[in-house]
Amino acid sequence: MRAKASDILNGLTLVGVGIVLLDFFFTGRLDPYLHPQFRPFTPIAGVIFCTIGLVYAAAKPGAGCCVDGECIHENATSPLRSVVAMLLLFAPLAAGVALSKDSFDQQAVLNRGFVQDITKLPVHVNTGGPEQQVDQAIPPEALGADKDGVASQPLPQDTSAAPTNGVAAGGDQPDQANPAVPNGGDGSAQYLPKAPDGNVALEVTDLLYAEQEESLRKIVGGKTIEVVGQYLPSADTKQFKLVRMFIVCCAADARPVALPVEASGQMNVSEMGWIRVTGKAAFTQIGDRTHVVMKADKVESIDPPPEAMLY
Amino acid sequence: MSWFTFSWQNFLFSFLALAFEGLPFVLVGSLISGAIAAFVPSRIITGVLPKNGYLATLASGLLGLCFPVCECGIVPVVRRLINKGLPVSCGVTFMLASPIVNPIVAFSTFAAFRGQAPWLNVSVRLGFGYLIAVLAGFSVRRFSPKEILREGAVKIPSRKRLAFQISPLPDAVLNDLESGFVQKLIAAVRMACDDFIDTAIYFMIGAAVAATFNTAVDQQVILPLALDPTLSTIAMMAIATVLTLCSTSDAFIAATFVSFPLFARMAFMVFGPMFDLKLFFLYSVLFKKRFVIGLGIGLFLAIGIISSRFLIYLYASQGL
Repeated sequence: MRAKASDILNGLTLVGVGIVLLDFFFTGRLDPYLHPQFRPFTPIAGVIFCTIGLVYAAAKPGAGCCVDGECIHENATSPLRSVVAMLLLFAPLAAGVALSKDSFDQQAVLNRGFVQDITKLPVHVNTGGPEQQVDQAIPPEALGADKDGVASQPLPQDTSAAPTNGVAAGGDQPDQANPAVPNGGDGSAQYLPKAPDGNVALEVTDLLYAEQEESLRKIVGGKTIEVVGQYLPSADTKQFKLVRMFIVCCAADARPVALPVEASGQMNVSEMGWIRVTGKAAFTQIGDRTHVVMKADKVESIDPPPEAMLY
Repeated sequence: MSWFTFSWQNFLFSFLALAFEGLPFVLVGSLISGAIAAFVPSRIITGVLPKNGYLATLASGLLGLCFPVCECGIVPVVRRLINKGLPVSCGVTFMLASPIVNPIVAFSTFAAFRGQAPWLNVSVRLGFGYLIAVLAGFSVRRFSPKEILREGAVKIPSRKRLAFQISPLPDAVLNDLESGFVQKLIAAVRMACDDFIDTAIYFMIGAAVAATFNTAVDQQVILPLALDPTLSTIAMMAIATVLTLCSTSDAFIAATFVSFPLFARMAFMVFGPMFDLKLFFLYSVLFKKRFVIGLGIGLFLAIGIISSRFLIYLYASQGL
C-alpha cells in the first residue's frame, strides 16, 4: 500500500512537471525564458515526463526498482520521499506558473550592469552558413554584404524577402574589408526595415553597433527611427535608458543592453514597461569613442513584443 | 546601492529559466541511466575499458567524445555505471571530463571564441579538462569506495567487487526476473524515474541558490578583481560556481568577460562544468559531503594554479 501510494505520488509529480513544461511552451510563455535553440527540448521533455509518469504510476508496485539487491534509490517506496519530491520538483514550477511575471524588474538590470561594448556580446553560429549573427534588424544587404560576406554580387532589389536577422555589423566586419559597403548616400537605406508608418525600425543593438561602425552611422543618421525597449528611468527627468535583455542560453544569463534616450515632457511610463521611442539618433565623439543618444520626438507605451529578449 | 537586493519576480524568472533549460538534460541523463541499468550487461560496461586501472582511468576521460553527457545528466549515469562495476576512479574521471571533452563543447567553444584564437582555446579547454579529470581520477584511487561514496547511493556488496578493480556484477538476477523486452523497458522507465527524482531534487536546490545570486547580488562588486592574475582567476571560477551554466554554452558567457584575461576565462570554462553550486548538490547524490567539498577544493586549487601560473605564459607566448 505504501509502495503504491509512493508510486502514484511520484507519477503525479512527473506528470505535473511535464504539464508545466507543455503549458509554458504552448502558451508562448516559454519564449522569454530560453534561447530559441533550447526551446524545442521543452515540449519533448514535457511529453516524456507525462508518459513516464503515467507508466510509473500504473506499473506494478516495486517492479523493477531496481533489481534484486541492487536498488540505489533511498527510501524508494516511502510516501514521505515522494511528498518531498513533489514539494521540491513540482511545487516550485507550479508556483512559477501562477506567480512569475516572465520578466526581470529594474533591480535585476541594475545588479547585472549594462554591456559596455556591444561588439563583445556573444554570437551564435548561423547554422545556414559560416557567418555568425546576432539578433539585429538591419539586413546585411543594407551594409552591402551578401550571405558569404564577400559582397561580390549585386545588391538585391526586392527587400521583402530580406532576412531581419542580419550578419553582425560589429568589429568583425569593418567596412574597409568590404568594398561594397555603402556610404549611406547610395540608396542603401532602402534596405532598412520599415515600421508601418514608414519610419526606420531598428533594435537597440543596431544603434549601439552604430557607435562602432561608421557605415551604420551614415545609414541611420538623420532618419526618423523607431526603437522598442523597456523604460528605465534615471535621476535626470529628461533622460532615460531604453533597455533590452540579451540572452545566450536562458534568462538566467541575460545581460542588459541600454540605449540612452533624451526626451522632453512628462513621462508617464512604468519602470521596465515596454515603450516605442520615435526620434533621431545623434552621435557624438568623446575621446576616441563615439556615443549614441536617441533624441526622442515621441515616447509611447506598447505591449511587449513577441520576442522580449534579444539573442 | 546595496550589494544584495532580493526580489521574488527576478528570482522566479531566473529560477524557472534554469529549470526549463536544465530539467530536459537531467531527464536525458536519467533515461540513459535507466537504459543502462536494464539493458546493458555489466560485462559490457567493464569490458570496453582496459584492465589496468591507470589505463582505464585515462580511457574514461575520453568516453565523452563518443558518449557526450552534459554535467546536469552525468550524475545518474555515473552512479549507474559504478553500480554496474565501473571503478570509482573511472567514474569520477568520466564525470568530470565528459561535460568538457566532447564534440558539442568543442564546437561551441570554437564558435564563442571566433576571433579570439579559437583553435588554441578549444585545444586548451579540452586538454586542460582532460588533464584535471584524469588527475582527479588518479587521486580518487587512494581512497576506499566506502570513504567517498554516500551510503546507499551505490551498492558495494561484501563479495569481492572492489570499486577500483574491473569486476562486473553478474546480471543473472536482472535477466531472470525481467526476461521480456517490455518488462525490461518498464523496469528501465521506473529506474529512470527514480534516478530523475533523486537527481532533480538537488538540481532544483542548486538552481534556486544560483538564481538568488544571479539576480540579488550586484555583479559589479566582482569586476575590480580582473586586474590581478590570481584574483581574476579566482573571481572567474567563483563566477562559474554561482552562474551554474551548461557546459555546452558557457563559452559564450566566458567570451563576454573581456575585461578578464584569457587564462582566467579558461579557468571559468574548465572549473564551471566540473564544479558549481548545482553540481555540489548533484554530486551529493552519489558522494559523501566531505568528499564533495574536498573535490571542489582540489579542483579549485588545481585549476586555479595551472591557469594562473602556467596558462598565463602559454597565452602570453601566443601574444594573447
